[in-house]
Amino acid sequence: MREITFTAAAREALNEEMERQPEIFVVGEGIGVRGGNWGTTVGLYEKYGPMRLRDTPIVERGFVGMCAGAAMTGARPVVDCMFYDFILDSMGELINQVAKMQYMSSGRLKMPLILRGCIGIGGSSATHHSGNYYPLFTQIPGFRVVLPSNAYDAKGLFKTALRGDDPVIFMEHKSLLNTKAPVPEEEYFIPFGQAAVVREGTSATVVAIGTMVRKTQDAADILAKENVSIEIIDPRTLAPLDIDTILQSVHKTGRLLIIDETFAPCGIGAEIAAQVMAQGFDDLDAPVQRLNGLHTPTPYSPTLEAAVIPNADQVLQSIRDLLAE
Amino acid sequence: MAIEIVMPKLGWTMEEGTLVEWMKQDGEAVHAGDIMFTVESDKALQEVESFEDGVFRIPPNSDVLGKTVPVGTVLAYITKAGEAAPFEQIPPPQPTLDTFAGSVLQQPVNEGGSKLPPPQPSPIATGEGATPNYSLPPSLVQNGKHDLPNISPRARRVAHELGVDWANVNGSGRTGRIVERDIRAAASVVPSSAPQISPVAKRAAEELGVDVSALAAQMPGQRITREHVERAALPISAPSISVPAAQNETRTPIPRLRQVIAERMNASSQTTAPVTLTTEVDATELVKLRQGLKATGQSDTRPVPSYNDLLAKLVGEALAQHPQLNARIEGDEIVTSNTVNMGFAVDTERGLFVPVVRDIRSKSIRQIAAEGVALVANAREGSLKSDDMNGGTFTITNLGMYEIDAFTPIINLPQCAILGVGRIVPKQVVVDVEAEKVAIRHMLFLSLTFDHRLVDGAPAARFLQTVKRFIEQPYLWLMN
Repeated sequence: MREITFTAAAREALNEEMERQPEIFVVGEGIGVRGGNWGTTVGLYEKYGPMRLRDTPIVERGFVGMCAGAAMTGARPVVDCMFYDFILDSMGELINQVAKMQYMSSGRLKMPLILRGCIGIGGSSATHHSGNYYPLFTQIPGFRVVLPSNAYDAKGLFKTALRGDDPVIFMEHKSLLNTKAPVPEEEYFIPFGQAAVVREGTSATVVAIGTMVRKTQDAADILAKENVSIEIIDPRTLAPLDIDTILQSVHKTGRLLIIDETFAPCGIGAEIAAQVMAQGFDDLDAPVQRLNGLHTPTPYSPTLEAAVIPNADQVLQSIRDLLAE
Repeated sequence: MAIEIVMPKLGWTMEEGTLVEWMKQDGEAVHAGDIMFTVESDKALQEVESFEDGVFRIPPNSDVLGKTVPVGTVLAYITKAGEAAPFEQIPPPQPTLDTFAGSVLQQPVNEGGSKLPPPQPSPIATGEGATPNYSLPPSLVQNGKHDLPNISPRARRVAHELGVDWANVNGSGRTGRIVERDIRAAASVVPSSAPQISPVAKRAAEELGVDVSALAAQMPGQRITREHVERAALPISAPSISVPAAQNETRTPIPRLRQVIAERMNASSQTTAPVTLTTEVDATELVKLRQGLKATGQSDTRPVPSYNDLLAKLVGEALAQHPQLNARIEGDEIVTSNTVNMGFAVDTERGLFVPVVRDIRSKSIRQIAAEGVALVANAREGSLKSDDMNGGTFTITNLGMYEIDAFTPIINLPQCAILGVGRIVPKQVVVDVEAEKVAIRHMLFLSLTFDHRLVDGAPAARFLQTVKRFIEQPYLWLMN
């Protein structure tokens, strides 16, 4: 099977759906002729023209608000926000209008607005270009929060997002954008709320978020040589969260670790731990553990930046510690 | 919502009951129809079923086992899987050394007096800081700070599934916690090592100093009950005469049933004014009647009516003519019953039971016999229901099989009277004084104890006389 990058896979999904649905249009800074800061729309401007690939001024609150109106009146906007840090300027529109509109209109208005952009720590992007923010969006009722960890999932999940009627927070980690994976040419969809069991195992369960999936797989390879088998779960969507798959895994292994690049307090790991303790307490053979990045603004210095996210050694050690509990 | 499981009202008059044994343990799955526990009340031992599916939860501080509690007392809960029981929905626990070990033990000192290094931040440090090390030094744990070892929820669940008693299992977790592998190891070393023993028996064994494992070895595959333990507590051989008197005794706690009997007997002797009348009856015709029934009953699979069944019927008819004997005192009233509910004193290994055949006058002797057989069997198995023993209005007690002639039975409260039946024995008796004629006749002593508070001697005597007539001429009751 051909291997393509995360960005190419997502772009393919966008192209397929733009062909199919004339209501889809994209707004953002430099997504027209330039093809997007990350190449998210390369080639689409030539194909669909300036009406459907609309460059915007640097006014997040303005264009998110306009897109919310467009979505309510039948169009299907895709807001390409480049960095999620920038979209914080439009949080009032997003939380008060976009997330709540279907509820406030008793479902009479749809809100098929897709927000896409890059997140994550890496490449000395410094603190205004390194945010993750998915715990924040996951906390708001109304949003679908999608976090693919590879090119295959990126395409399948983006396709599902583009077909739905709900606002979707689609997040692309900058260190995953150029990673390649086999992606079939045939059309496929990955439903929301369906975690991937990336690797089956019996000794412990690791729920890995985003970039941590790859790092956990590397650690699991090392541990496999010691006859320790780790089960790895990639939730893929944080809202809805597929807790059932996690509970089934914990029922099997009795041990759970959540590895997440972003902050621990009030995070995805805290939520998963709480749900597992509530619903799977009698399956737990050890306290649920978390490994998170440090609770700090992201430094610019490459050395310091590397120090705030879980590295390969820490991932491996955290699993060893869990097994020793 | 957790469902409250209360002491049930199992009989008309039941006000309190004794929780004898849990049949479900805390945390065990329970399904509708499962037996949750057994209750003793009014001498009946009854199994109480669940009407619900869920998880059986006994509060950890529950002390109702073996206790007598009022009807309606909450004993346990049934919760949904994953649901907290009400006793778990309490405010956060008081701070203990355990919870704050991380700070209390910043500079712990071991027994030798040297300082242990302070806890190191865990390598699994989360972003906000190090995970405190909550482990206690082993010395503290061993010094009795913890009565039970720490155990993971999963290990506790698996222990329960495999029947492993984890109180003495060594934990291999980082903090000495018992984890699943420890339980599985313990289970594989000694398969079903824990003897099957009822909680009541376990307690009795502790009180009496009986070695449960030795007892279990003597009876493999059997569940140890209180009776087994009590029997094992008895001295094996007769002690020699030289043993001082104080050691030549055994002490056993009064079994619950004996307590009930003692209370009943005490109440009867303290509240009634008992008088016993005896009379000798010619039972030859009754014997003939029974032999006739026996002969004709051979082709019949139904039970042949016993003397007790025949006597019950005859006494029932006699009571219809003397209703003041079919009465009881209730407060400041005399309650006279229009139906005769006949109690039969039944001797069992566990003690005396008095099951009741209701409305005996409306029943044929065959019916009485059939019911009597079933009740006696249930009494001996200990499966009598409380209602089987409630509501009697008169009692018959028969010691004839032990070659007893006459005795002074004790009134079964709240009844007015009880008829003691002696043995039927052939005797040479004068049948015609004028002709100076003797004959061999089947003779029987009747002993009627009645409560003089309710009835005087003469009416009681007239009642006994009617019974005597009916026995001597058993066909007479047909006339009624």
